[in-house]
Amino acid sequence: MPVSGTHGVLFAASMLAFVVLFVGGLLAIFAADLRYIYGEPGVIAKVIRSPEIHAALWLSLWTSTVTVVLGLIFAIPMGYGLSRYRFPGHALVDSIVDLPIILPPLVVGLSLLVFFQTDFGKLIEATGLKFVFERKGIVLCQLLVSTSFGIRAIKLTFDGIDPRMENVAMTLGCTRAGAFFRVALPLAYRGIIVGGILIWTRAFGIFGPLMVFVGAVRMRTEVLPTTVYLEQSVGRIDVALAVAILMLLLATVALVAVRMLGLGQR
Amino acid sequence: MIRVENLNLVVGDPAGKGGSFALQNISLHVKPEEYFVLLGPTGSGKTLLLESLCGLNRIDSGQIVIDGVDVTLAEPRRRGIGYLPQDYALFAHKTVRGNIAFGLNSRSMAREIIRQRVVLLMDQFGVAHLADRYPQKLSGGEQQRVALARALAVEPKVLLLDEPVSALDEQTRDGICRQLRHLQQSTRTTAIHICHSFTEMLAVADRVGIIDQGQILQVATPQEVLHRPRNARIARFVQAGNLFTADARADGSWLRLTFAGGIGLSARREPGDRLEGEVFVMIRPESVRLGAKIFEHLEPETSLLEGTVDTVADLGPLVRIDVVCDGGAALVVSLGSKEYNDQSVRPGDRIYLAIAPQDVHVMSE
Repeated sequence: MPVSGTHGVLFAASMLAFVVLFVGGLLAIFAADLRYIYGEPGVIAKVIRSPEIHAALWLSLWTSTVTVVLGLIFAIPMGYGLSRYRFPGHALVDSIVDLPIILPPLVVGLSLLVFFQTDFGKLIEATGLKFVFERKGIVLCQLLVSTSFGIRAIKLTFDGIDPRMENVAMTLGCTRAGAFFRVALPLAYRGIIVGGILIWTRAFGIFGPLMVFVGAVRMRTEVLPTTVYLEQSVGRIDVALAVAILMLLLATVALVAVRMLGLGQR
Repeated sequence: MIRVENLNLVVGDPAGKGGSFALQNISLHVKPEEYFVLLGPTGSGKTLLLESLCGLNRIDSGQIVIDGVDVTLAEPRRRGIGYLPQDYALFAHKTVRGNIAFGLNSRSMAREIIRQRVVLLMDQFGVAHLADRYPQKLSGGEQQRVALARALAVEPKVLLLDEPVSALDEQTRDGICRQLRHLQQSTRTTAIHICHSFTEMLAVADRVGIIDQGQILQVATPQEVLHRPRNARIARFVQAGNLFTADARADGSWLRLTFAGGIGLSARREPGDRLEGEVFVMIRPESVRLGAKIFEHLEPETSLLEGTVDTVADLGPLVRIDVVCDGGAALVVSLGSKEYNDQSVRPGDRIYLAIAPQDVHVMSE
């Protein structure tokens, strides 16, 4: 938006002042972290060379990525269905979808642990699909905690797409599903990317439910956020902060890359 | 070409917040190559009916036949229709070329044939120079042309147009209406065009169906609707100008009408006409003769009134004159610009009005 005149400049400056305050505040906190680990020579090299941290990093990356794929498999049809169709109990279902956003993540881990003690939960594990204290459990926890963010973002995107475009597509030869895949889905791609980013960032950062449901076994179920928690709990603040900075760098690179690839201006 | 029999459809929940709306016993017959206009006020059910013809709403009962085929239960893609929705609904993720080619791609045609056909349509609709632009970068008129080309690309038997010019400015609207009419005639397509503008209907229609509150009130030619509306509701909608209640009394082949203030008029009485008692009377403003002196030659049974000019409003091609007749009734008279210049009527002038019996339209409801 072009800015002109004294009032225009003042208005834009007052809006952007909040951006400066917020981003500046975050950068100040990160700078303090960097300063802290700068005073502890060798800590970064120690973190980079540690095989445990390598394993946690790799586990964090692949579980978050699998969670995004699985999360989008649910979020796209759910977002579309909740946006386009009205049914009895629609408002209730819409609210239930948002529950994981409101609930403390720890509760999800606890509830999962209880669920897998029930007959149905035991039946699932009896099929060989084991989650409790297993790596698959990490994905399950991440999926339950983070998918709601994706569903919300994608539903809002479909809300903003005129259903008449799909109607026209159907008169031009598409089936209902064809209109979804050829019109609604391509039009929603930005919202889907945003939804994917939200799922990934949320999944990458959780550790509370993982501590309860899969534990923090080194080289097995330990992800980067768990490492930060464990290191600080034994007093190695410098290592915890170095891992946190590593997480920040990875997350920033991933977010910027996705934004540049997927959300470029048309 | 299009036959709709006893179509019924209820949408919404009668007990819900927004209530419900019903299309009731809609029956229509649109002839091949006819330009049919569905005219009705906002919220009358026009778009709902058009969407039902498209197959976008499953009707509760009734039958829809297009080109001799019962399509009541057919999917939209199997109805042989081209649909132009309000605001055009162009695909924002596709260029002009991609939008026009969309329906052809859906039919799995050879790529070269699609390319040739798209080029031909872009030339025909004057959008070839916009081929690689996205819809967001087009003007309203350009969007409309692209949407029309997209709808006609699949060579539909019927073109369904939902308020196709309502998003355009008045000057563009007139030109586009002429183009639509020309296009429909040159492609020999049957068209149903819905609108709420009376002048838009006059510009394009072979026949018109008046729709209100989910019911078809009258199907006729524009001239018939203009001069012989079936009831007072339609008369109001077609801007009757002069609509009164009167007391009617049969007198052989004439109806004697008495208005408030004791003013009397005569109207023709059709054979078998049972109109008597309280009736509605419509007199179109352009049918009233106006003169400063008493008229020398008048048809038999022409009613002659005297009155005073109240206001004169110059509307460009027409001049609207409000007259207060002796006895208190107010009458609107409409004159062409040239006719008005010859008369030179001013507010306060005493004038005579002549109303021929064939110009007095009497309605029972």
